[in-house]
Amino acid sequence: MKKTINLIRCRIVIIAAKLTIFLLRLARSGGTTLPGKLAIKLYPGILSELSRKYRIFMITGTNGKTTTSGIIAEVLKENKISYAANKSGANLISGIVTCLISDVRMNMTPRSNTALLEVDEAAFRVSTESIKPAAVIVTNFFRDQLDRYGELYGALKAVRDGIANIPDATLILNADDSLCASLGKNVPNPVIYYGFDEQAISPEQEKDTASNHDAAFCLYCKTKYQYKSRFYGHLGHYICPDCGYSRPEALVRVEKITALSGDFSRVVFNTPSGKFSAQINLPGLYNVYNALAGTAFAETLGFSHEKTVYALSAVESSFGRMESISLEDKTIQVILIKNPVGFSQVINFLLTVENAAVISFLINDRLADGTDVSWLWDVKLEALTDMQDRVSRFFVSGTRAYDMAVRLKYAGIYTNGITIENDKGTMLDAALNTLKPGETLFILPTYTAMLDIRKILKKRFKLKYFWQ
Amino acid sequence: MYQLSICHLYPDLLNLYGDHGNIQALKKRMEWRGIEAIVYPVSLGDMFSPSDYDIVFIGGGQDYEQGILHTDLMERKKEGIREAVENDVVFLCICGGYQLMGLYYKTSGGDEIPCLGIMNHWTIGNEKRMIGDLIFSIEGLDQEPNGYVVGFENHSGRTYLGEGVSPLGKVIYGFGNNGEDGFEGARYKNVFCSYSHGSLLPKNPALTDELITLALKRKYKDFVSLQPLDDHLETKARENLIKRFIRK
Ligand SMILES: [Zn+2]
Repeated sequence: MKKTINLIRCRIVIIAAKLTIFLLRLARSGGTTLPGKLAIKLYPGILSELSRKYRIFMITGTNGKTTTSGIIAEVLKENKISYAANKSGANLISGIVTCLISDVRMNMTPRSNTALLEVDEAAFRVSTESIKPAAVIVTNFFRDQLDRYGELYGALKAVRDGIANIPDATLILNADDSLCASLGKNVPNPVIYYGFDEQAISPEQEKDTASNHDAAFCLYCKTKYQYKSRFYGHLGHYICPDCGYSRPEALVRVEKITALSGDFSRVVFNTPSGKFSAQINLPGLYNVYNALAGTAFAETLGFSHEKTVYALSAVESSFGRMESISLEDKTIQVILIKNPVGFSQVINFLLTVENAAVISFLINDRLADGTDVSWLWDVKLEALTDMQDRVSRFFVSGTRAYDMAVRLKYAGIYTNGITIENDKGTMLDAALNTLKPGETLFILPTYTAMLDIRKILKKRFKLKYFWQ
Repeated sequence: MYQLSICHLYPDLLNLYGDHGNIQALKKRMEWRGIEAIVYPVSLGDMFSPSDYDIVFIGGGQDYEQGILHTDLMERKKEGIREAVENDVVFLCICGGYQLMGLYYKTSGGDEIPCLGIMNHWTIGNEKRMIGDLIFSIEGLDQEPNGYVVGFENHSGRTYLGEGVSPLGKVIYGFGNNGEDGFEGARYKNVFCSYSHGSLLPKNPALTDELITLALKRKYKDFVSLQPLDDHLETKARENLIKRFIRK
């Protein structure tokens, strides 16, 4: 009897939430989290109720969640598997619930059989109390906005605690990240590691040699790791000389990166089912890791190489992570920046751009950006001086425009080459005016600044709505 | 040519919240004036020789990393640091570095972790973190307006000052040492302690210049004063925050 009442209640809640989604879309407001929030309030058990109906894959970690989800989505598409996926920025419980409510029909039967859920590290533990995924893909752990998440090791613990809730889920883990790899130790779960081979990157491709990184000391005994090779941040082939904790052997590997350019990379993968090469249509080393995570996922599900290769070449930059707008003879590229390692990787990518460019930084300090902008000092912006002659002008905007300008000054950028423009629309106009034919304007916004600039770009260049 | 040696203590462990910016500000503001700046990282296993450095910087770390260095700090560096402090070497200690200079840190669980005991202050851990923009005024600091300094704080420890240690400044906006007595940071001899990162020095050039001036005066008897620099960007960045948080 109680069960029937619950079922009826659940259905009513779904109808109410669906109506909210519909109304919010009508009002042209994204509506990716509010309906879920409402539904949880009305029926707290809704997440377990709905998620039981799906085969679920979860993606968590600090950097690359959205891009990896995008790659896995392509892999699923190639393999003709229908799926529901939450939108980037809607990776807390409320966003996940909204995603599943959108997918189920009024009678609660799912339209897709699979759900691909990007989950914020901080929400991972709570979400695994309700969701029992078939597999969890973890990208990496880097220092993120500390004022919001607490400490780096806190995020790691949150994910570890979450994994304890789901002993049957297959874990797909980054072997090159000593923090991420530790999640696979002493757990009953099946574990599949992915990573770069020691010689995957040729010396001239390697740019990040800073000794200062997030996890230099052994997680277990606090001794400094020794590295046989290091790829970026703390990712590499580490071993603790004291307790012997070391990088586990990877099953799905990048054997060699044969090309790394401003637009794409070419990679040789080596997996238990054989070797194959693929082109990844995303720039930067960090995207090779995302593609590798996607490949490990495909391998775990037994998909063919051919389809994976196709998926990797078809993948497009997800929601502002790296988004291109082509005007007549000019290009605008928007790349989200959100933490020191991610930002430093974007700087490395900019250094590979050969043409002249205009670079604009939009730095906000709202809650979703991180209210503490100290992290700008952890980004190796000094590297930008190498391309100063190719950058016709630097623009800064956002609530922390002046902080960014000061940062650039102390990085060695000439202050007469920096324009501060508080209004983002005016900044866009000025930047486009500075741009010569054939050149690219790179806009690097923090999260809420990206929403701002996207709104402006959408209006100006008639872009599609971002929930589609 | 003047030259200053800067010691960056545990740069691989105490490197939270843009501590790098403080080193960078010291270095750049010296270089722009033709003063040579050499930065020495001093970490685990290294000895700390008190006569080798003119300025010492200690930043903040996560609990995990502060745990790693504790034995090394107490066994290898404590006496050297004490000697340097007593010899008027200039110190800038931020957040965790500030706490380490004091007597002890009492965790919220009640454990008392001994610190260097060079300065007479102590810290009590608390569940609630004090996070947010911080503005405080330093008496006599030649920085507009009113010697105001801007930064960002993020700490759960509450610090209290004992005899012989004076506060660095008065809280204008934010929590400061403990959120209770209205003071921020600590001063003892040439040691400057603060909870403010953000990074602290780049947006507060007068404070940076004061540290450099103190170090130069101590090392070179003929040194008089630093030549002024164009600080309009730093000033704008600071004014922007003061306007936002105070003059509403
Ligand atoms: Zn170890």
